[in-house]
Amino acid sequence: MALPLPTGLTQNEVSFLAEMEMVTVVPRQRLDSIDLLGGKTPQLRPPHRAQLPLWLALLLKKQRRANIVPPAWMHPASLAEIIHRETKEDPEAFSPPPPPPSRALYAQPGTARRLNHQHQPSFLDDLTQTTLDSQQQDPNSILSPPFLPSNVAESPAGYLPYHWLEIAEALLTHAGDDMPAPAGEVRSLLRDLVEVRAAKMRSSTSALEGFGDAWLTLRGVGAMELAENRAFLAGLVDGVRKIGASAEATRREEEEEARRGGEYGGDGDEDSDEDMGL
Amino acid sequence: MSYYDIDAILTDAEKIPCTFQIDVPDLGYLDNQPGHTLKAGSRVALPIWLAEMLAIANTGAVDMDDPSQSSKSFITFDLPSALGNDVVQALKADPRSVPLRDQSAHFYALATHMMELSEEPELSAVLRKTFVSRAAEIALHARKVGGGGSSYHGRDGGGAGGKGKGKATKEDNASNLGVGGAGEEFLRGLDEWERKLFRSAHDGTKASKEWMENVKKR
Repeated sequence: MALPLPTGLTQNEVSFLAEMEMVTVVPRQRLDSIDLLGGKTPQLRPPHRAQLPLWLALLLKKQRRANIVPPAWMHPASLAEIIHRETKEDPEAFSPPPPPPSRALYAQPGTARRLNHQHQPSFLDDLTQTTLDSQQQDPNSILSPPFLPSNVAESPAGYLPYHWLEIAEALLTHAGDDMPAPAGEVRSLLRDLVEVRAAKMRSSTSALEGFGDAWLTLRGVGAMELAENRAFLAGLVDGVRKIGASAEATRREEEEEARRGGEYGGDGDEDSDEDMGL
Repeated sequence: MSYYDIDAILTDAEKIPCTFQIDVPDLGYLDNQPGHTLKAGSRVALPIWLAEMLAIANTGAVDMDDPSQSSKSFITFDLPSALGNDVVQALKADPRSVPLRDQSAHFYALATHMMELSEEPELSAVLRKTFVSRAAEIALHARKVGGGGSSYHGRDGGGAGGKGKGKATKEDNASNLGVGGAGEEFLRGLDEWERKLFRSAHDGTKASKEWMENVKKR
């Protein structure tokens, strides 16, 4: 109230956070491992690809010491597929977020299991646990979009990671020559996608029109889109809540009444028992 | 609702039609008859804060002759004209074409306050539909305003305008020219809640545009 600060993250904060995401680079020079707060970066040896945080990759790219391999989902074919899905296949919902990373099981050929996913313990665990990547620290942690390891570098084609818009903008601006297609083509596809999803964001509000629960589904919406629409959507849902508040209060009172009737109705008063049955 | 919320204070100052149930001596000046007794049954417009108190409080007088009349409230109130039947019917027909601000600058706040005082299940449903469908229109306008640059935000406003009603398609031409034409008329008819909503949607779009332009500079 006193502070005019907006709630939630601003666009600049979101794009700053997006620079923590990992991208794949092809180094052009040798570079020793750097001891950063978040852990050591891999040693860079020219023909070998390595995973670096986006900010470091952009820095090396600007110094012409590395090329950035654009993530698979930024390929024009992948973007076109996503646009097709958003417009033709499912014009209502946003395209789903990347599936959680999974890995084939050595012990059971033909099956796969999610990494880091909670599962029923079985005798197979001892066999598979040793084959799991040693980098997966806690097998019981529950994954949600901002913390998925598959967000950027490993995100499969056809899915938009949480920080898609920020990363795509940064890569197109600073590493346009590393794109698999002319940067202009990727950019125009990206523009189309932004347009489609912004229109969808606005039409998604019609879900609140009916009388019922005031909720919106925002599955698959990226961080930047959230930052842009947070204040509007929150204001909208809050307004709907205020309008329905009195009706809600009466409904609760009636429920309370009915419940109390049920509790005290059993004291020999047959009429109220019959009422409860209705 | 905060104590210092200026909108809440202004909403409480909105007048609603009330009918006095009892004679009140020396209150005639409310009905343009100074010095006289305000007769029972006279209709006076009172601000909500006063009407609420008078409607809830009772006289406390005990009438021996007729116990049912012993503690009636000072006044009864009706819905203000802003929430009258004709407005509700117009909102049912087409929420976007009603300039709510002409009814009351704090239309929704007034309506929710009235719904707290008296149960109006139908009004609640109509208002909800009105608020949501107008919000979609507001979001559309919020993206257009000031979107005259080369960025795709302006283009988007125009492209998505076709999804609205017939009025929105007319505005497609004006999408890059800021507020203008029929859009201005719609935006002038927004009540305070909707203005806040417009502002937040507009600020979000603007901040995104600024960020988009800043990416290139860094």
